[in-house]
Amino acid sequence: MNETILTPEELVDRLRTTFGDVVTDPRIVTRAEGAKKNPNTNVWMTITRDSLKPVIRHLMEITYPHLSVISGWDVGEELRMQYIFSIYFGNHHGEYMVIFTVPLAKNDLNIPTISDLIPGALFTEREKQEMFGVKVTDIPDGRRLFLPEDFPEGVYPLRKDETGVPDSMIKHLWQVKRPTDRPAPPVTEKEENSPSKEVKSDE
Amino acid sequence: MSDQMKKAPYVVPIGPIHPALKEPVQFLFDVEGEVVKKADFAPGQTHRGIEWMGMRRNPVQIIHMTDRICGICGVTHSFAFARAVEQIVDIEVPPHAEYIRVIIAEFERIQSHLLWAGVAAHELGFDTLFYLAWRVREEAMDVIEYITGNRVNYGLIQVGGVRRDITPEQHPTIQKCLDGYRDLLGKMLNLFLHDTTISIRCKDCGLLSFEQALNLCTVGPTARASGVMKDVRFDYPYSAYGDLDITPILPSAYGGEINGDVYDRIVVRLLEVAQSIEIIETCLKEMPDGPILWEPKLPKLLSACKKAHGEAVGRHEAPRGECLHYVAMDGHDAPAMWKVKASSYSNLHAWIPMLEGEQLADVPIIVASIDPCLSCTDRVAVIRGTKRDLLTKEDLHRLSVEKTRRIQGC
Amino acid sequence: MLTIEMILMTVAAAVVLSVLGIAFGLLLLGIDRRVSARMQARIGPPLSQPYIDLKKLLSKENIIPENAVASIFNAAPIIALASSLIVLLYLPIGSMMPVLGGYGDLILVMYLLAVPALAMVAGGFASGSPYATIGAQREMVSMIAYELPLASIVIAVAWLLYSSGITDPFALSSVVANPVWTMVGPLGMVGLFVLLLTFAWVSPAELSKIPFDTPEAETELAGGILVEYSGKNLGLFTVAQGVKTLVMGGLAVAIFFPWNISPLLGLTSYAAMAVDAIFFFLKVIILMILSVTVIRTGLARFRITHVVTLFWVYLGLAGLFGLSLVILDSVLMGGF
Repeated sequence: MNETILTPEELVDRLRTTFGDVVTDPRIVTRAEGAKKNPNTNVWMTITRDSLKPVIRHLMEITYPHLSVISGWDVGEELRMQYIFSIYFGNHHGEYMVIFTVPLAKNDLNIPTISDLIPGALFTEREKQEMFGVKVTDIPDGRRLFLPEDFPEGVYPLRKDETGVPDSMIKHLWQVKRPTDRPAPPVTEKEENSPSKEVKSDE
Repeated sequence: MSDQMKKAPYVVPIGPIHPALKEPVQFLFDVEGEVVKKADFAPGQTHRGIEWMGMRRNPVQIIHMTDRICGICGVTHSFAFARAVEQIVDIEVPPHAEYIRVIIAEFERIQSHLLWAGVAAHELGFDTLFYLAWRVREEAMDVIEYITGNRVNYGLIQVGGVRRDITPEQHPTIQKCLDGYRDLLGKMLNLFLHDTTISIRCKDCGLLSFEQALNLCTVGPTARASGVMKDVRFDYPYSAYGDLDITPILPSAYGGEINGDVYDRIVVRLLEVAQSIEIIETCLKEMPDGPILWEPKLPKLLSACKKAHGEAVGRHEAPRGECLHYVAMDGHDAPAMWKVKASSYSNLHAWIPMLEGEQLADVPIIVASIDPCLSCTDRVAVIRGTKRDLLTKEDLHRLSVEKTRRIQGC
Repeated sequence: MLTIEMILMTVAAAVVLSVLGIAFGLLLLGIDRRVSARMQARIGPPLSQPYIDLKKLLSKENIIPENAVASIFNAAPIIALASSLIVLLYLPIGSMMPVLGGYGDLILVMYLLAVPALAMVAGGFASGSPYATIGAQREMVSMIAYELPLASIVIAVAWLLYSSGITDPFALSSVVANPVWTMVGPLGMVGLFVLLLTFAWVSPAELSKIPFDTPEAETELAGGILVEYSGKNLGLFTVAQGVKTLVMGGLAVAIFFPWNISPLLGLTSYAAMAVDAIFFFLKVIILMILSVTVIRTGLARFRITHVVTLFWVYLGLAGLFGLSLVILDSVLMGGF
């Protein structure tokens, strides 16, 4: 691939000139670690839901991005979806991360699928559906991923409002006692003459 | 016999519990004769809701929980999580600690790849090689125990540094282990890559093309075996990896073309063991002096974390590929959001193109990118000579403490 | 001709031999596991482990799957064990002539060898489990595959005996009485050696051992044919496996290494028989270690397609090559 490599600043400028006000709050976070303090860069941007697919398509024209994961964050009044990409991998210390935040209003939790652009996104989109209650429109495979089939509808474990996991579903381990409805274990413990007695003494 | 049985293709379920799988996941295969026509899988058979639990705990508590996300990658998740929190709180990790983190992460890679090699051999029905790989893996486990005090769940990484130092007196023991591996690696490469039965079973089996690897967002050795140059340690300067000269290992490094088959994945993993040896040696040599923690007092660390606002992404190249933690903090004890993206999360989807059209006999080895978790049993019977002892959990604990002390020489 | 005494003698001998065969077969399994463990730098189980396993299995109940055909499912292990024991009765043990020697020949032995495998196939299909069904299909395919090399060995031996003018060339007693190596020239020696190697590769397939254990393939089929078997039925299959191991070793000894040690020691009568029997078992142990244990320790499992290619192409050709060398040799010898 003979591509011109955009710096993080150039990438932000290019997206802003192409998409205008859709791209807001761009932040370029640079951090240096290790003894030689080589810097690494993360680019954060907020975009709107309608521009999600055009922006990603544009990013794919620049270079093929690696989608790490789609994350979510329930901040109360809205739900933020973070599309975490990394681009320019394969270049020594040339990779940087691009994170698009897509805010969604709680009364309209729909987001278009990007699995037609990046097939690997399907996995994490399925997870977002069940964990956050976001409806991914046109998703080719809308089944649950991690949650069991008998998990109640309308409960989304990572939400922090009334649709989150209710207290009635939480089992605190320290409150759980030995089950009483089971038969006693068939094997009886051998107590006498066991060498483990000696161990107890040095505890 | 039910009608369903007589129909071809019939469905062969593999899992949730099956000898081919070291962790529970369910596969459903439509099989015609011996050929897999259609594959599907359902993960989440042991979903523990760790993220949910973490959002009710403070970062120092979480860091010990991250140790327990995976039984093999004891340091990977702690590393990625610590990096995310350090970015939010703006903690500068002492370079000495960064080097220690890298050393333990690379030891983890060695033991994880050797473990994988053993599992792969077992899946091929080659138990002799399985025993060999797991026996030599013990050397790395011993050194990990020597450094951290534990075989698994190392508890080494803390937010802002590490909890235990590697002192110059410990270098000879570590070096001895590395030298042992260097001698052994040629033998391992020869056994795995020049054995006829392994070659005929692994070559052109479980193919994943370059495009598929890219489109399905695969990471780590799975992606590299298909020719995708992708290695966080090389691409993205973080921790002490930014100081090192690392090149991603593609199968072409062993001569030969990149096919993206199971054989190439073996090549990549075994060569990465050699690479890890080099990295550890460099780190031991170049390790700068200094403290091991940004802030040794936990209340101070926690209050700094509590004040922090913001979101960050911490990444680390785990033995199986990129591991990513997204953390958001909003001025509370517990993070507002925590998302764990383990490396296998990105690789699972690649199973379907790999498996479809393959022979049923090759399913275990193709699936074998899953790693086993060995859990401690409650009691074990030991027979030495004619004397029989039944060991209880307390005995095992005492014995393991004794062994760690013996290894650490104190 | 058949007197009551003779019948009683035969029955008594058959019972004694069966019990001995079972005991020794299980010991062979123990030796195999132990030697393999030592080759893998493990300690391995004690030699008595198969007996302990069997004792445990026999004390457990049989679990019959809901959609299994119970009659076939339960009959399969009995047929497998019975047929392996019958083959044993056709084998000469040391200087002791086969108990059923007068009632069958090498061809019958070949057919009987296929019966345990067929019983397992029937049991597998009757289990009503997809794993067992696939295992049974694989077992059938591999059976068909290894018959050709096995047949070429038997034909070569019979041809040799026949061309030397021995009456009843297919009877095992005449095979033992005339060691094949003494009847051929250098060319035939080479041919016989090729056949011996072929036989060494057929044995692990007959016994479903790695690399030919595709029907049971632990990692993909979780035990394949045997996946639904438990308790006493599985115990019977274990015994049948032990007896089959002994039979394959015994067959190899009878065809290729029939010499006895008693003439060298100058023993006669029962002492000779005892010494020869011990010598026979030693030969079986050595052959089994070489052709089963070493191969299974040193190789990975083959795919079923590899099994077929190996037996039909490579070993089939080797068998035919050996056979033609033997025939060529005997023709040349006859010409002189």
